Amino acid sequence: MTHTIGIDIGSGAVKSTLFRVDEGGGIHWLAKRCERIRRRDPMTLAHEGRDAVLADAGLAANDIDYIATTGEGENVRFATGHFYSMTTHARGGVYLQPGIAAVVDVGALNGRAIYVDERGKVLAYKMTSQCASGSGQFLENIARYLGVAVEEIGSLSRSSQDPEKVSSICAVLAETDVINMVSRGISTPDILKGIHVSMASRIVKLLKVTGIKSGTALLTGGLALDTGLLAAVQEEMVAEKVPVEVASHPDSIYAGAIGAALWGAYRHDKLQELQRQAAA
Amino acid sequence: MRCFIGIDLGSTTTKAVVVDENRNILGRGITNSRSNYDTAAAVARTEALLNGRFYLFRQALAGTGALNGSLDGFIEQLERDFRAEQYMEQLEDLHETCVRNLVTAHFGADTPAVGEALEEVFRRLKAEAPSLFAPGARRKSDFFRDIAGSQYLAIGEQVAKEANTRYDYLLNLFDRSIIEVENRVYADSVRRHLLNALERTFIALPESSARRAQVEAPIKGVLDTEMEDTYTVGTGYGRARLPFSKEHIRSEILCHGLGAHVMYPGTATVLDIGGQDTKAIQVDPKGIVESFQMNDRCAAGCGRYLGYIADEMNMGLHELGPMAMKSTKAVKINSTCTVFAGAELRDRLSLGDKREDIMAGLHRAIILRAMSILARSGGIRNQFTFTGGVAKNEAAVKALKELVHENYGDLDLNIDPDSIYTGALGAATFAWRAVLEDGKTAERRE
Repeated sequence: MTHTIGIDIGSGAVKSTLFRVDEGGGIHWLAKRCERIRRRDPMTLAHEGRDAVLADAGLAANDIDYIATTGEGENVRFATGHFYSMTTHARGGVYLQPGIAAVVDVGALNGRAIYVDERGKVLAYKMTSQCASGSGQFLENIARYLGVAVEEIGSLSRSSQDPEKVSSICAVLAETDVINMVSRGISTPDILKGIHVSMASRIVKLLKVTGIKSGTALLTGGLALDTGLLAAVQEEMVAEKVPVEVASHPDSIYAGAIGAALWGAYRHDKLQELQRQAAA
Repeated sequence: MRCFIGIDLGSTTTKAVVVDENRNILGRGITNSRSNYDTAAAVARTEALLNGRFYLFRQALAGTGALNGSLDGFIEQLERDFRAEQYMEQLEDLHETCVRNLVTAHFGADTPAVGEALEEVFRRLKAEAPSLFAPGARRKSDFFRDIAGSQYLAIGEQVAKEANTRYDYLLNLFDRSIIEVENRVYADSVRRHLLNALERTFIALPESSARRAQVEAPIKGVLDTEMEDTYTVGTGYGRARLPFSKEHIRSEILCHGLGAHVMYPGTATVLDIGGQDTKAIQVDPKGIVESFQMNDRCAAGCGRYLGYIADEMNMGLHELGPMAMKSTKAVKINSTCTVFAGAELRDRLSLGDKREDIMAGLHRAIILRAMSILARSGGIRNQFTFTGGVAKNEAAVKALKELVHENYGDLDLNIDPDSIYTGALGAATFAWRAVLEDGKTAERRE
C-alpha cells in the first residue's frame, strides 16, 4: 500500500491530490484540493494544500510515502521529487478517462497537446509559442475586466450570436482591447466567444501537429471546465475536419496533480524494489 | 478666465492639461482610462481644472500674505483632506454598488455569509481610509481603483479566512462593482468636497483657523471664478472616440512631438514610453514631426510591462525603479513576452536570484526594445527628450543613459518631471494656437 500526494503548481492555481495505490495495482483517490493563486504565494498554498488533503483523508504526514510536484513546483522543499508536466498531464488524463488518444492541457500561460498511448506514455507533443496571447491568462484578464466570474464564462460564450473576432492580441494589452470593444457596443457573450474561437483555432492547430489521427482528446488544465471553450474546440475540429472527439471531465483541472501522485507512487515502488534487491 | 485644454486619452491613463491665455500651465489631471471614453475624458478634465484651482488658491493666498511661511503646508493639507473626502464618497459608492450586486450574483446559499463578510470588509476599509491620506502616507497609486482595490484584496483575504467564506466571491463582487463606480463622474461634488476639506484643514492646522476669514475669502473667490473651456483638443489611443468633432482631434505623434518641443525647444529626438506604446519621434526645430516608429501590438517594452511586473511582485509601480537601483549585477531576462517574463521572474526568485538584480534586468530589457525602435526611426540626435510614464523611473533612465552612451556617445538627455503629460500639453498647445493664432472657435460635436 503506497500513499502519495501530487501537487501541481500552475500559474493560476495550486492543485493537490492524495492517492492510495494497493499492492495489486488498485488506485484510490482519497482527497483533492484546488486553490486559485491570485497574487498569493504558491509555496504557502502548496503547504496548505498538502495539509488539507492529509486532513480530508484522515492521514498524518508520516503516512505518506512520496510527495510529487509538477508544474512550477520544482522548488517545493517538502517534496520528494518533481515530474515534468508533460508526463503528469498525460498520466492524469488517462487516469480520468481511460482510452483517450490525446490530452489537451489549456493552462493559464501555455497550451499544449499531448498524443499518448493507452498507458499514458507521451508519444508526441506540441506547445504554444513564447507569447501569452490567447492563453488562459488572457481570457481571465478579460473576464475580470468584464466583471464575469470564471464559472459564468462558458454559458455566456455559448449564448453568443455574433462572436467578435480577435486576432492575436497580447495578453497584457487585452484589457485595452476589451475597453475598446465595450465602448464599441460589443456584448459580453460575443467578446468571450470571440476569444474562445481564437483559442480553439490554436488548440486544434497544436493537436494536428502531434499527428493524432482519431480517438478522443481530453481537455485538462484550468480551462477544461469552460464549456464555451469546449464548444468552440468541438466546432473548430469539425470545421478543420479533424476526426477527433473532444471531451472534458469534472476533475480535469486535477490532471497534473493526479499524474504527479501516480508517477510518484510508481517511482516510490521502483525505489523500494531496488532497495530490496540491494539488501538481498 | 479663458482656458485651453488638451486631453490625451491613452490606453491606460487619460491625461488633461489646462493652459491659460499666456500659455502658462494652470493644471494637470490624470485618471485611468475605462470603457466609457466620455467619462475618462470628463474625469481627467475635472481633475486638471481642480489642479488648476489649487494653483490659483496658492496664487491668491500668496497675494494676501495671510499664511506667510506656512502656505505650502496649508495647501498640502488641503489637498490631502480633499482627496480623503473624495475617496470616502467613492468608497461609500463602491459599498452600495457591491451590496446591490450581491443580489444578482449567483452565490446561492453562500449569499448571506458573503453579505456579512462584505459588510466587515467595508467596515475595515472605512476605518482605514483616513490613514491613507495622513501626512507622509504612501499610496501605491493615486487612482481609486488601485487604492481601494489593493486594500480590498488584502482585507478581503483576511475576512474570508476569519469568516470561512470564499475569497473568490468577495473578489468577484469587487470586479463586478468597480467598473460601475469608476464610470461615474463626481464633478458636481468638487465644490462641496473642497469646502468640507477646508473645514478639516482648519481643524488639522489650528494656527490657520485663527486667520480663517483671510484664508477663506481668497479660496471662495477662486471657487467663484469660472474657468471657461474655450477650446479643447484631444489626442491619444482613444482619440477617435473622444466626444469632440474632428476639428478638435490631433494625432498623438503630432502632440507628443509638439509637447516635447514646448518642454525643451532644442528637442530633436523624442522617446515616449507610455502604457502600451513605445514611440520614437524625430522632430524639426519647430517641433514638427519628421519621422516616427512605434512598437507592434505587444506589451514587452512598454509601461504595462513594468505594471504587470509590479502586480506580480505585489509592489507599487513607483517602487520598482528604486529597487532596481540597488542592483549590483543585472540578471539577463530571456522572455520576450511580458506574461512569460512574469513567470521567469518567479522562477528566478525561487532559484535565489536577488530581487533587485532581476528588476535591473527587467528594466534593461524594456530599454533594449526602445533602442531598436529608436534605431528604426533614424537614430538618436541631440537633444534627446525622454517622455511618458516610464521616464519617471530612475532605473529605466539609468539603463537608457548607459545604452545611449554606448551607441551614440555624449548627448543632452532631457526629462521633465511632468513628462507623462507631454501629449496632453501638445494638445493644449494646439488648442491655444487654434484660438489665439488661427482665430478659431470651438466646433460642436457632430
